[in-house]
Amino acid sequence: MSAVRIINGRVLDPANGESGVVRDVVIDGGRIVDAKGFSGPTETIDARGGVVMAGAIDIHSHIAGGKSNITRLLMVEEQRANREPAGDFCGCGGGLSTMTAHATGCRYAEMGYTAVFEPAMVAANARHMHAEMKDIPFLDTGGYVVLGNDDFLLDLISSGAGQQAVNDYVAWQLAATKAMAVKIVNPGGINAFKFNQRKLDLDEANPHYEITPRTILTTLIKAVTELGLAHPIHLHGCNLGVPGNEDTTLATIAATEGLPLHMTHVQFHSYGTEGDKKFSSGAAKIAEAVNANPNISIDVGQVMFGQTVTASADLMSQHRNRGIASPKRWIGMDMEMDAACGIVPFVYKEKSFVNALQWAIGLELFLLVEDPWRIFLTTDHPNGAPFTTYPHLIRLLMDKDFRDEHFARLPKAVRKHSIVGELKREYTLEEIAIVTRAAPAKILGFKDRGHLGAGAVGDVVIYRDDPDREAMFTKADYVLKNGQVIVKDGEIVSVAYGQTHQVAPNYDTGIETKLDRWFDEAMGFKAKTFKIADDEIRDGQGAVTHATTRSA
Amino acid sequence: MAETTSHDVVCPFCGIGCDDVTLTVDGAAVTAAKGTCGRAAQLFARSGAPAPSARIAGKDVSFEEAVAEAAKRLDASRTIAYAGLGIDVDGVRAVLKLAAKTGGSVDHYASEGMFRNLASSQRKGWVATTFAEVRNRCDLFVVVGPDPSKAYHRVYERVLPATGRFVEGPRRVVFLGGAPTEDAKSQLDGLTVEIIATPEGGLVDALSQLSALVAGSVLPAASPEIKALAESLKAARYGVLAWSAASLDNDGDLVIERAVSVVDTLNVTTRAACLPLSGRDNLTGAYHATLWNIGFPLRVGFRDGVSDHDQTAYATANAVKEADLVVWTSAFRPELPPASAAAVIALSHPDTVFDTEPDVFIPVGQPGLDHQGLAFRADSVVGLPLRRHRDAGLKSVADVVTLISEARA
Repeated sequence: MSAVRIINGRVLDPANGESGVVRDVVIDGGRIVDAKGFSGPTETIDARGGVVMAGAIDIHSHIAGGKSNITRLLMVEEQRANREPAGDFCGCGGGLSTMTAHATGCRYAEMGYTAVFEPAMVAANARHMHAEMKDIPFLDTGGYVVLGNDDFLLDLISSGAGQQAVNDYVAWQLAATKAMAVKIVNPGGINAFKFNQRKLDLDEANPHYEITPRTILTTLIKAVTELGLAHPIHLHGCNLGVPGNEDTTLATIAATEGLPLHMTHVQFHSYGTEGDKKFSSGAAKIAEAVNANPNISIDVGQVMFGQTVTASADLMSQHRNRGIASPKRWIGMDMEMDAACGIVPFVYKEKSFVNALQWAIGLELFLLVEDPWRIFLTTDHPNGAPFTTYPHLIRLLMDKDFRDEHFARLPKAVRKHSIVGELKREYTLEEIAIVTRAAPAKILGFKDRGHLGAGAVGDVVIYRDDPDREAMFTKADYVLKNGQVIVKDGEIVSVAYGQTHQVAPNYDTGIETKLDRWFDEAMGFKAKTFKIADDEIRDGQGAVTHATTRSA
Repeated sequence: MAETTSHDVVCPFCGIGCDDVTLTVDGAAVTAAKGTCGRAAQLFARSGAPAPSARIAGKDVSFEEAVAEAAKRLDASRTIAYAGLGIDVDGVRAVLKLAAKTGGSVDHYASEGMFRNLASSQRKGWVATTFAEVRNRCDLFVVVGPDPSKAYHRVYERVLPATGRFVEGPRRVVFLGGAPTEDAKSQLDGLTVEIIATPEGGLVDALSQLSALVAGSVLPAASPEIKALAESLKAARYGVLAWSAASLDNDGDLVIERAVSVVDTLNVTTRAACLPLSGRDNLTGAYHATLWNIGFPLRVGFRDGVSDHDQTAYATANAVKEADLVVWTSAFRPELPPASAAAVIALSHPDTVFDTEPDVFIPVGQPGLDHQGLAFRADSVVGLPLRRHRDAGLKSVADVVTLISEARA
């Protein structure tokens, strides 16, 4: 592949402090090189009138694994209605909220995304998830292993095995499942539901292990801190979707005592109980707490109106939600002493008080959280909406008139209960580049992604500078993956595959004796069968392992 | 060549996913050690005779000639049925890619039971569980219909050891409308086993009653045994209803629907789950890989580069009636292609003895013996890593299909 020189574009690279400077960007051997110092032959792309950014990174999108397959199974009408068109790069799949692997890669790439992370990899299902991620073209990927409801861990904590044993176990799981980070879903709650408990607050004890979500959370926060993972605990907190959960969310922030924590789809955790309907926005309080606690980052999980399907490891919550399934079908599954899943199709309606307020709460969070480096643009695909709605969401953030127009369509009661109309903030292009590129790279610990400095990977996007920001971000003019042009004028023009990312901190192998016994006795098969080998990832290409402090 | 022994080999055949097989390999000869279940030992065993040659119309040809002939026949065909699909996930990927190019239907030969399950799960949904959950939590295990251990040999040993981590007192196992085999009884030794017989064709009724009873209906006509079972399930902490859909009768979809409804009701007040078993020869992996790549659960059709799903038209039994070419893939065992008027390309287990000689035969390796691969366990969630244990010069289905695809005009 020859080197590429992108000329005349306005470079927007917040990680390197470049805000619209016109300069060349040169990619050679798949990496960005110093444009002035490079004198070899290049292909030239003229980006006049365009904005040049690094490839976008989605830190939270459910793109693969058993629960994604259940969504496809349940939403067969959507699959039928959305077929990938025939063509040179057709994968013969389809779907929207339930998009198949090939289509997922294509649709993300067309918007300028080049890395997407699956945030709920249940350990028992990790092998499936990796197999599926291999079939997603264009994107670098990785998974966050779901811990905090696994019986082995809860037993370790409740039996007083100590922080060191927990750290060793977490490191073992990261290596065994080839994971990039640790996710907690409803700490202890999914497990408690298996013992028939229906709700679990931050300080309520699990009926069997007699430990609280707070203990599980703080123990795991400590574990990833001590193991030196770049990405903090990625938390789906307690009481998702429950009116009044703003208190839980505030208490969770306080529980961190200053240690790093990423709180995901916070829109679903920012509900108060004010008003006639006992459902109100807690966004202002949550944003205030986020602003005051620099150790906290959030992604929003914005809701958009229309049909989607909610897919979560949180079966406790999803069982509670089963009555609102639309169409009327849902699947739940307890999984392998690890976690669970619950899949509930759902339609967010503009005329529904609750759904419209959810939409407004998401926007309030975006507009009230001040530091763009600590908030990330997500819809919790597909839970709030399909990821294909990102360009619309970007316009809502960047264009107050457009936002007000949409806000005005909501029921009057909703407008009375939301301050969206009063918020004047409009995201700048630079802020969009931060929330979709620079900040995601930073919070995942990537030194060579999310920016356009020398040494970064050659994932580069050119957007035409269209005042209609939705149109601008729907189809990129050019997308380069490791220096290869994969999208031109918004269409896929060649196929490339990304890599899988993981961390693998060292651990005391003494934990393996315990795990061998656990697998033999409790799981009924061998720990060595459970562990994923390097040669299972992308046909033996293996995962890219990122340094952690403990692994020296 | 020296004899080598591999321990803790993963068994890919029935879908239970045992990983305690010991294989002894001497050249191409393979023997499974004692302790392996009879069926797996038989399926792993190889005589050591060299693999048969590829054949065109019964005549030995080189591998390359067979590939070229297969490619030619694909190009010349109007309607292709891709069938068998007893292959690893890479094999399924390769077949789907080829089918997308040539057009045609794709189905797994053992998918009938799975589609009975989908009649409930896809339309209404269910609450399901996995082996390790059952093993540790289940205090009342109800086998719905015929004993699944006929197809899933070591299922009870796996999911119902005498004690469970969270089970207080002895576990109870109830066979509803079926009876345990002698082998099943020995696996269940030490557990309380009961049998509730149902009249011929009466399983649907029994489950309808059970469903109504757990939901609080008073059914004076219901048998005392069914009434007692309903009470037991309501009192159980983690009741499980298990079945093998493939061994249910033609009313299997109704049986499953009622069983799902029992579990649905139980979960309002206590915990319960279904354990639907369907997984022979990586059916589960074929289902998953087709869902994530195509968006449908097998029985897919490709035309003009766009895929579609039809559970009737694209079922192998119907597809072969319309097809002028059947592409049969069966790598785990010497399963025979369905009888039809169509020409047959068979990428098959080397020991296959055909009733009717296929037009093109290419022997292929077994995932988990001749090459590495991925299969899925019968409870859907867990992937099984399959390793290579010998070199008998046999290529994987994925490799052969890819070569055929590349050889097309």
